[in-house]
Amino acid sequence: MSKAILCLLVSGLAWAEDARQIVEEAQRRSRSGSEHYEGSLQVINARGKITAKRWLYDRIGSHGNSKAVLRFTAPAEVKGVALLIVNHPDRASDQWMWTPALERDRRIALQDRRTRFFGTDFSFEDLEERDVGQYDYKMLGEETASGAACWKIESRPKQSKISQYDRSILWIRKDHYVFWQIENYTKDRPVRRATYADLQEVQSIWTARTVEMADLRENSRTILKLEKLEYNVPMKDDSFTLQALRRESR
Amino acid sequence: MRARGLVAALISVAACMAQSFSQRGFLETQLVGYPQTAWNDSGRAIGESLLRYEAFYKLSSGWQFSGGIDARADTHRQDARALHLSWNDREIQRPAFEVRRLSAIYHRGPLTIELGRQFIRWGKADILNPTDRFAPRDFLGVVDNEFLAVTGARLTYERGGETLDAVWVPLFTPSRIPLFDQRWLVAPAGLRVVDAGAHYPGGSQAGLRWNHLGAGYECSLSFYQGFNNLPLLSVVGTPLPAPGIWLQRLYPQMRMYGGDAAVPLKLLTVKGEAAYFTSSTPQADNYALYVIQLERQQGEWMFVGGYAGQAVTRKRQALDFAPDRGLASAFLGRATWTIDTNRSLAFEAAARQNGDGAWLKAEYSHALGQHWRVKAAFTLIRGSPGDFLGQYRRNSHGALTVRYSF
Repeated sequence: MSKAILCLLVSGLAWAEDARQIVEEAQRRSRSGSEHYEGSLQVINARGKITAKRWLYDRIGSHGNSKAVLRFTAPAEVKGVALLIVNHPDRASDQWMWTPALERDRRIALQDRRTRFFGTDFSFEDLEERDVGQYDYKMLGEETASGAACWKIESRPKQSKISQYDRSILWIRKDHYVFWQIENYTKDRPVRRATYADLQEVQSIWTARTVEMADLRENSRTILKLEKLEYNVPMKDDSFTLQALRRESR
Repeated sequence: MRARGLVAALISVAACMAQSFSQRGFLETQLVGYPQTAWNDSGRAIGESLLRYEAFYKLSSGWQFSGGIDARADTHRQDARALHLSWNDREIQRPAFEVRRLSAIYHRGPLTIELGRQFIRWGKADILNPTDRFAPRDFLGVVDNEFLAVTGARLTYERGGETLDAVWVPLFTPSRIPLFDQRWLVAPAGLRVVDAGAHYPGGSQAGLRWNHLGAGYECSLSFYQGFNNLPLLSVVGTPLPAPGIWLQRLYPQMRMYGGDAAVPLKLLTVKGEAAYFTSSTPQADNYALYVIQLERQQGEWMFVGGYAGQAVTRKRQALDFAPDRGLASAFLGRATWTIDTNRSLAFEAAARQNGDGAWLKAEYSHALGQHWRVKAAFTLIRGSPGDFLGQYRRNSHGALTVRYSF
C-alpha cells in the first residue's frame, strides 16, 4: 500500500516537473530581445455589436524582465492613450497609463488590473508577461484543442504574485510548444478564455498571429490580430520610461 | 529615367513623413441649459462649438514638433467674436482662435527638453492638485474647467527611478476667471462690476520637481517660484455712476514647497499631495493646501474619495478668485462605472465639511461608432451665499455634448 502511494507521489512529482519543463520550454522558444506589432482589435459585445480599435505594441526584454508600451491609434477619441508596463520576475508588474486629454500619467493600482483594458476583453493583468517562476504547475494530461494536440497544464500563482485569477488551465501545442488556449478561473469559475490561432513562424519563433479573449461573465470577446509583427527590432531602453510615455504618446 | 527616380524618391520621402506624422482632433458642440436665471445674466441656454486640431511630427529619433489650434464660437459671448489668433491666452473671453500648443522637443538618452507652448502637469492626486503650479485653467464655467498651456522651457532628466524636472516659464499665463457681466461672477444684486484690466507680472516663473519611483510606491518633492495664476481682486478707480465698481486682477508673487506620493496597496491606492505657499505680495495669504485620497477599483466601478484641507498661516485679504482653496475643507469624491465598451457613467462631488456648500455632477457618456460620442451631464450646486461653492447655487445646469473625433 505504502509502495503504491510512493509510486503515485513520485509519478505526480514527475508530472509536475514535466509540466514546469514544458512551460519553460514554451517560454524559451518564444524568447526574443524585443517585439513590435500593430494590433488590430475587434471587440464584440454580448449583442454582437462590433467595435474596432488599433494599437501599437513595443516590448524590450523578455519574460518577467521586460518593459512594454502599448499605444492606441484608433478609434480617434482614444488616439494617444498609452500604457507602460514594467514586468518584474518576482512580483506583479508596475503599470502607468498616459491620457492625452489630462496631459498626465496615472499609476494603475494593483486592484485595478482586473478591469477591462479600454473597453477590450483583456484586463490590465492580461497584458502582463507571465514568467514561469511566478507560478506552480500541475500536468492535467493531454487534449486536443482547436485541432492541435496539446498538453493540458494547470498553473496557480505563487503567493508573491498578486493575481485576479486563482488558477489557469493552459493548453500548449505539442508540435511547437506554443500556448494554444488559456482558461482563467476565479473562485473555480472560468472568467476569461484566450484562444490562439493563425500559427506562423516569424523569425524562427512560432507565433499565434490571432488571439481571441473571451470574457465569460459578460459574454463578450475581443479578437486581436498581430500585424507587421517583428522580433529583435533595435529598441532603446529609454523608450520605455514615463518620460517616453509622455513624449511619444501624441 | 531621371523623372521616375525623382517620383520614387518623392514617394519614399512622403512615406517616411507619413510614418512620422500624426494628428488628431475633434469638433464638439455643447448645449448648456440653466433652470434658473441670475440677476446679472438672464440667459438660460448657451450653445458653444469647439474645433480642436493637433498635429505631431517626429523629425528624427531626437527631434519632435507639436502644434495645436482651437477655434470656438458660442451664443453667449463667453467666446470672443473678433477673428483674432491668441498666442498667450490672456484674454478675458475665450479667443475665437487660439494656439493650444506649439513646441519642439529634443530628446537624447535620459534628457528631454521641450521648448514652446506646452502643457505641464505636476502632482498625483486626481480632483485637486496643490502642486500643479504650471497648469492654469479656463474657469469661465468654474466647475467645468479646462487646462491652458504655458509658454516656456522644460528640461527633464530621467535615470532609473529618479526624475528631475526643471521648468522655466518667462511669459505668464493666467487662469481665465468668470466674466464680470455673467452668471459665474456672483456679485450683490444690483452691483455692476466692470473689468479694470489686469496687472500681469513681468517676471518669470521657475520650478523644480524630483520624482522617485520605488518598489510599490512613488513620491515627489517640488519647488515653485513665480506667481499665482489665480488673481486677487481689488477695487480701483472712481466709482461708476450707477451702483458699480471697477475690479482689477492682480497676480500675487508665490513660492511653493510641495510634495506628493502614491502607494498602491492590495485593496486601495493611497495618494496624497500637499503644498505650502508663501507670498511677498502684501495682500496675499500664506497657506497650506493638502489632499489625501483613496482609490479602489471594484469590478467596472472606480471609486476615488478623499479630503482636501487648508491651513492659513497668515491672513491678509479676502477678495480673490481661488477655486483651489474653494474646494478645501471639503470631502471630494468620484465614482465611474464603465458599463460596456461604449458607455460609461460618472459621478463627481464635493461637499464642504461645514455643510455650507456642495456640488454634484453626473455624466452619462455613449460612443456611437468610430467617431461620435454623446454626453449628457447634470450639475447640481447647493449651499449658502457666503460659501465658495454655495454662491453658485443658482448655476445648477444640464449639458448635452456631441463630439466628432477624427
